[in-house]
Amino acid sequence: MTAGGVLLLMTLLFLTFGYMGVPVTFALIAGVLVATFFTPISMQSMIGQLFHGIDAETLLAVPFFLLVGELMAASDVATRMIRLSQTLVGHLRGGLAQVVTVFSMFFAGISGSSVADVAVLTRTIAHDMKREGYDRAFTAALIASASTMANLIPPSIMAVVYGATGDVSIGGLFLAGVVPGVLVGIGLMVYSYFFGPVGVMKKRSSLTEVIVAARGSALPLVIPVIIMGGILSGWFTPTEAGMVAAVYIVVVLIPIINARHIRELPRDFMYAGLLYSLPMGAVAGASAFGWVVAFLRGPDIVANYITAFAGNDGATIMFLLVVLFVIVGDFIDAVPAIIIFMPIIRKLAEVGNINPLHMGVVIVTTLVFGLITPPYGLSLLVASKYVGVGFGKAVVRSLPLYIVFFLTIAFTVTFPKVVLWLPKQFLPESVGCFRSPSGTGYICPP
Amino acid sequence: MADSRALILDRHRHLKWKWLDPLEAGLMVLCGLSIGMFTLTVLCDVVTRTIGAPWLWLQQVTTAFFAWGVFIGMAAATRRLDHFYLTEITKRMTGKPRNAIEIVNRVVVLLVAIAMVIFGWQNALLDLGSFRMPSLIPLTVYTAIVPIAGVLVALFTVEQLVNGWRHGFAGPEDSDDIRETLL
Repeated sequence: MTAGGVLLLMTLLFLTFGYMGVPVTFALIAGVLVATFFTPISMQSMIGQLFHGIDAETLLAVPFFLLVGELMAASDVATRMIRLSQTLVGHLRGGLAQVVTVFSMFFAGISGSSVADVAVLTRTIAHDMKREGYDRAFTAALIASASTMANLIPPSIMAVVYGATGDVSIGGLFLAGVVPGVLVGIGLMVYSYFFGPVGVMKKRSSLTEVIVAARGSALPLVIPVIIMGGILSGWFTPTEAGMVAAVYIVVVLIPIINARHIRELPRDFMYAGLLYSLPMGAVAGASAFGWVVAFLRGPDIVANYITAFAGNDGATIMFLLVVLFVIVGDFIDAVPAIIIFMPIIRKLAEVGNINPLHMGVVIVTTLVFGLITPPYGLSLLVASKYVGVGFGKAVVRSLPLYIVFFLTIAFTVTFPKVVLWLPKQFLPESVGCFRSPSGTGYICPP
Repeated sequence: MADSRALILDRHRHLKWKWLDPLEAGLMVLCGLSIGMFTLTVLCDVVTRTIGAPWLWLQQVTTAFFAWGVFIGMAAATRRLDHFYLTEITKRMTGKPRNAIEIVNRVVVLLVAIAMVIFGWQNALLDLGSFRMPSLIPLTVYTAIVPIAGVLVALFTVEQLVNGWRHGFAGPEDSDDIRETLL
């Protein structure tokens, strides 16, 4: 069988098993094992690849950011941040919708998990939205859309996985994610203001109320400072920053803010332990899958197809990749998608002479969109389940919000200088700059 | 709706043997232990580095806890039916077609688990000759979890196959799960 045939067989088996209801991890491994029969690779080295796929220190950041999200969600500390958001934007038209977006921006700076954000919001503010007359489909659509910011605004689990497997600076990806993350937030606020339900209009909070709410949220809001401050100052790696944030929540935040939750901590850890194994199991399977793709020269095959159409033009290659990943993100979870396609992404970045960091942030922004698109929009699935509305209805209410994501993706592709401005200022090496031989400043690529 | 954070999940009870409940609870405890331990080792890593006396082997211990946690969680999630799924299409089906697809799905998982046991074991034996530097921990210490997880996944899959064959795979929880994917 030709290499292209084996790749096709492996992909078809994965999708067939996956859509029949085999768990993603096992569907991936099953496809890989069958494909291995047609290659000279031994079965034991392929099974060994399951371990090697997760044997990366950088991937350790994933459980920490999941743990942080889980601890924040379970201990009800996040409700203080919701109160702060209410004092800031609760008086605007569509007040609670604005609160959802602003809270998600705050929460995104703490947790790297969109699902944790959905869990907090559906448990708290979704009930108030129902009481104020927001239809449940809109509530689910907005919460899911806003939760995607958790994977754009640092820390982001997708950025960690992309950086770890693509050999791209994770700190750089964190900083580059700020612009698309904020753009999604602003877009959702603008949409809610002009086109969303009106809700119950409230009077503007007084300065004293804002200060009281800000003081109540001060301790949780130290976490983004710990994470990004630690990484940018060079004190911590992203993994260590995640650990410090988790320790801070356990040792400082919960005892001060919600001491009753301390006895629940063993349960939080057990659940977080289970939670992180789910994406990491998929990473193990996907890395074996990606390894076979690379072994069979899949990147060359796909690159030949794409360059036959786009030539070596970076912008066109990136546009085609966006289209590809919008489709891929509809069907496959982002984490395995990143790993499976990484050899192809790297090859195309090289062919089109695209800055790897720019490529990374475009791919992550595109895959984030997949969290709210059918049939496999994880955030929307979870939000519709917990809000108690059919997924189909939530999808229909999400359709206008897709425009926000299209515009954000287009901006991220078109204006690399704006998107990469933050990493260029704080982590110049991450965008390809190197220290000037004279010792002062950096020399950067155009 | 059942508490998804419970030590032993009560969902899909009809697919479970009671005598395997302690094993599920034990695996959940190990999940918590692994994330707790590698939090501790990364903390020690930062502290010892900061005070200028780094323990170089700590990162390797961290990776071991991390990897074991992943595969133990994979096994626990198999019993709790907590894995990521691309679709829950089977839960919208009933009767014989439902049973047939559920059985095929589990046979696929079982075959993968058996491959993890056989080839994972061979791989672990090969790794006896490879060592992590500077701790000189044999690589087998890390990779041995793959066949162990394979055994656990196979056990839980057989449990579901047998019980599903006897009582059918459909359960009262399906309506909750279906709601996720209604289009």
